[in-house]
This record gives sequence, structure tokens and C-alpha cells, in this order.
Amino acid sequence: MNTLLVYALLLKATVTSFAGLGSLPQIQRDFVETYQVMSAEQLSQAVLIGRSTPGPVGAYVVAVGYLAGGWPGAVAGWLALITPALAAIPLLLMVQRWMHLQHMRAAVDAIVLASAVLLVATAVRLTIDAAQQLVRVFTQA
Amino acid sequence: MTSPSFGELLWAVARDVNRTVGGGYAAMELLRRTFVKRGWLDAPGNALINAVSRLTPGTNVLAYCVALGWRVRGAGGALAALIGGSVPGSLVIAMLTATVAQIDQYRSVRVALAIGSAIAVVLVFSAAWHLLRPYWSRPGRARAAVIMAITGLLLSLDVTPVRTLLVAAVAGTLILKPE
Repeated sequence: MNTLLVYALLLKATVTSFAGLGSLPQIQRDFVETYQVMSAEQLSQAVLIGRSTPGPVGAYVVAVGYLAGGWPGAVAGWLALITPALAAIPLLLMVQRWMHLQHMRAAVDAIVLASAVLLVATAVRLTIDAAQQLVRVFTQA
Repeated sequence: MTSPSFGELLWAVARDVNRTVGGGYAAMELLRRTFVKRGWLDAPGNALINAVSRLTPGTNVLAYCVALGWRVRGAGGALAALIGGSVPGSLVIAMLTATVAQIDQYRSVRVALAIGSAIAVVLVFSAAWHLLRPYWSRPGRARAAVIMAITGLLLSLDVTPVRTLLVAAVAGTLILKPE
């Protein structure tokens, strides 16, 4: 598969997601169903490798890129992984510029509070996952 | 507040992001601990970066790294943090994929991953508590609780995180009275 197309498809998936595996449905549609450059099993393997290695879970797109286009595809996957993160700079500048406004400070406070609640929800899900993982590991001994 | 050198920044980010499995929130907590402990970041700065990273598309922890790097060392810092946060893990993933390693067939690997996930849970709870704590120790606690309740309600209705954050932001401008 053409490296530029790999980058474009992976970027479409990463830029429209807001969490590690949020890009998965779009990637499944594009790479498995539309272009058929990998099987569902290979996609599962890419996710497994991404989840099993240290670092961001979303880095599984590097494995998807490799499976779709070899080493150039892996580089395209890495670029698609990091490109959306650069949007944090204008966002940060915008927020800092308007932080003297009471409404902006209130909005940021609210986002921080909501983020904390979302984190608790994530932690609860992770607790269940971790408990299941531990049970599986020790019952299969 | 002091600033790290590019080398210190690169090393700190690479180490903290790449020693957790199971998601970026645990890594963000490790980064917060490291940067606060060394005097490179304060609690309000962390809260701001956290809020921005949640609103940025893509992988939250990389957005956190970019915002963190930008705040402590400008454009070069953002680049260094982005490289430190993404390159080591991506290299490992690409090499594992290339060798089509069946890494989960070894019991020791599964045990290590399960323990790593359990540690990540503790770190994520800790990250949530550090974000909440300042609001709990100052006036306006009831208003903060209203925002949290709205978030919980939207979460239970399966509203996407970004929409939830935007609704919370709008509600915040109407309800909260910042210090």
C-alpha cells in the first residue's frame, strides 16, 4: 500500500479520535474492509502489541502502518500518531492568552473537574480489566 | 520555577512515558510527579496542560507531552518531549510487528503485563485525585460537585468525552466562580 495513503488513512483515524483505541473502528473500516490490506486477526495482533508494550496505547497505529506498508508504513504510522498532538500548542496558547478572563478560567476549571471524573471512570474500567487479567494469569497456572 | 535542559526533558519524558503499560494516564501522572518534584512545573500548570491535552485530538499523553515541553522549554521542548514520548515505544512496536512476535504466549510476560496494569490503575486514581484536590480545599466545593455530577450524568448517557468536556466547560462558565 502507498505510504502516503497509509499516512492519510491513519491520520484520518487518529485526528478524529480522542483516546488511545478510539481510532480502531475507523482503521478497521479502512484497512480491513475497504482496502483489505490486512485481516481482522492481523489488526487484533497490532492492538495486542500496542497494548503489551510500554508507551501510549494509541501507538498500535505504528504496527498497523507496518502491516500495511512495511517500514515506510511504520514511519507513516508514527507520523500519524504524533501529528494530532501538535494541535496542543495552539490550544495551550489560546487558553493561556485568555486565562485573565474569568469565564475562561471557569471553563478551564470545569474541564479539569470533568477530566478528573472521566479519569475515575477510566480507572474503574482499568481495575476490572486488571482484575480479569490477574485472575486469568493465576488460574491458567 | 526552573527549566530543564533539552537533554533532561527528553530523558524524563522518555523514561516516564515508556515505563507504563495500559494507557497514557498513568504516564501523565508519572510525568507530573517528576516535573513537580524537580520544580519544573506547578499544580496549576499541570491542571492547565491536562485540560488542554484532553481537548486535543489523538493520543492524550502525546498532547500532554507537547504542551508540557512547550510550557517548560518552548518549541524545542515540545519537539523533544514529543520525540521522547513517541519514538522508543514506536520502535519497539515496529520491531515486534516485524518479527511477528507472539509475546503473550509466555506466562512470565502475561504476569508482568497483569502486574503492570494493576500499577497503572493506582496511578490513574492518583492522577484523578491530584486534579480534584485543589477544588476540594477551597470555597465553591458545591459548585465543583455540580460540574462533576453533570459529567457523571453525561458519562452514564454514553456521551463522547470531548462533548462531555465541552458541556462541562459551558456549564463551568455559568456556575463556577474561579479564584
